[in-house]
Amino acid sequence: MTLRLLPTLAVWAVLAVLPMLLGPWELAMFGQLLIYGIAAMSLAFIWGQGGLVSFGQALFFGAGAYAMSLTSKGMLPGIPDSPWLGLLLAVVAGAVFGGLIGAALFFGKGLRTAYFGIITIAAAVIAERVTTNWRYIGGFNGLLDVPPLPLPGGLDSADPFAGYLLVLGFALLAFLFLLAVERSPYGTVLRGIRCDERRIMSLGFFVPLWKVLALAISGGVAGLAGGLFATQFSFVSPAVIGLALSTEILIWAAVGGKAVLLAAFVGAIIVKYMESYLSETIGNYWLLVTGIAFIAVVVLFPQGLLGRFFALPQPRRLRRD
Amino acid sequence: MVSFFGLALDALNYTSVLLLVCVGLVVIFGLMQVINLAHGEFFLLGAYTVLVAQGVGVPFWLCVPLAFVTVGLVGLLCDAAILRFIYDRPVDTILATWGLSLAIRQAIVIVFGPQSQQVAAPLTEPVQLFGVAYSSYRLVVILIAILVALAVFLVLYRTSIGLAARAAMANRQMAQCLGINMRRLDRSTFSVGAGLAGLSGAVMAPLMSVDPQMGMGFVLPAFLSILVGGVGSPAGAIWGSVVIGSSTTLVSAWWTPVIAQIVVFLLAIVTIRFLPSGLSGLRSK
Repeated sequence: MTLRLLPTLAVWAVLAVLPMLLGPWELAMFGQLLIYGIAAMSLAFIWGQGGLVSFGQALFFGAGAYAMSLTSKGMLPGIPDSPWLGLLLAVVAGAVFGGLIGAALFFGKGLRTAYFGIITIAAAVIAERVTTNWRYIGGFNGLLDVPPLPLPGGLDSADPFAGYLLVLGFALLAFLFLLAVERSPYGTVLRGIRCDERRIMSLGFFVPLWKVLALAISGGVAGLAGGLFATQFSFVSPAVIGLALSTEILIWAAVGGKAVLLAAFVGAIIVKYMESYLSETIGNYWLLVTGIAFIAVVVLFPQGLLGRFFALPQPRRLRRD
Repeated sequence: MVSFFGLALDALNYTSVLLLVCVGLVVIFGLMQVINLAHGEFFLLGAYTVLVAQGVGVPFWLCVPLAFVTVGLVGLLCDAAILRFIYDRPVDTILATWGLSLAIRQAIVIVFGPQSQQVAAPLTEPVQLFGVAYSSYRLVVILIAILVALAVFLVLYRTSIGLAARAAMANRQMAQCLGINMRRLDRSTFSVGAGLAGLSGAVMAPLMSVDPQMGMGFVLPAFLSILVGGVGSPAGAIWGSVVIGSSTTLVSAWWTPVIAQIVVFLLAIVTIRFLPSGLSGLRSK
């Protein structure tokens, strides 16, 4: 049984010793990859567990990034300009956006799953349009000079070593949180909704509320990733909220494996890492290759390339003895 | 009052273009339950077919049927290579066509470059209509859209293939039991739907700058149109494109195109939320 835990533990162990192996520049790059990994986990949660394919996950990511930037630059009237408060508000913003969109779509008659995809695409396009044309939040150019997170001992997250460890800590936190939700009785209901919504409804669960909650949880984690993105890249622009990033997140989660959180996380890191190397050598062909690889994974490996490798055993209460 | 007719013609023009894009989408979605997110890229391929064919001296009016055939063949290829393996997994068809759209768009960028290019319009003389000078080519586009929609509806409602197709729309399994070859029907549906997208791309090419991003601008409003109109009936596509097309034109005349897009998308989402079976669902209530 513990054997199946090994790959998961190995990933976190490798990530923990990376600071001793890499130089500051590569370490900073890996820190950024971890942020994308968190975003991929947030989508894997809502998609793999709840069966809701969000084509607009960057909406929550971007909401978090903008909340972080606006707060830490002191642009929200009546709210002190603290980066840590900004990160908290980033999580809140993502969760609120997720909850609102969920509440708007799932209550009442409800929406067919296939339409959910199209509506999230439209929502991502709207968000990109609004941020591009809203001058107060920077318009097309976005907001520059987002301050780093201050840390104890006079350090801040702009330092590659401290920044990496900070992001790694948050990634682990997000992973453990989503994993706990997934393995709780609530997670079991969520998987039930994915398989057969009506049956779960007739078992007495109020399905719309559970779906809204799931989208809020996913949005909150994506918001956390967005907030970390804003502070680590020290800028935010409409590109982080639109369709392009949403598509990337979708590809990471699909290639890694949507049903397993860590598979999506590692999928994001590997795909983005390959991109940073290959896009220099093969340039324009990179997007073509990812598009084709994405199709191939969808058709041939619906569980992703890493899903089986990182799959964890069932929670004890669901096991047969 | 002069601008009123101009505005009405603009609205009619945009509506008919949307209708042209919608017809292909609604045929594919209605029959196969496949949400084809690569539709915008089939549109794109149609426009580039015209670009290439015109470059070697083919007259414009021949380019349009050529685009229909070329993109129809591409659709056939996509069906054979990808879609036929995943027809029974609806969510995966959305994802696979999304990947397909990425790949096609990037292939276009690699072959033709990211810059925008121009296609010469076959008709440039404006005509006088209700006291406004209006581009004669835009009038032709309206005419083509109406003719294409009419042709598709005639096939659907007046031929035996159309009967089989409508049977498949109503109940796939029952249709299969009655001896309709579903595999062949799916293949030809997808190919014709793709061809229709190519045709609309070819027709629209002279009116806009041809660049790799041009498809997305049409496919999303078209999707919202068929959802607003109601996917249950092919006629819903007409209502949907009228609503989305004319409201977009009116709002962008009042304010700006950007605000128009935001407002219309939000209204469409609200409509779909409260009328899951669209406007055509209102009547059957």
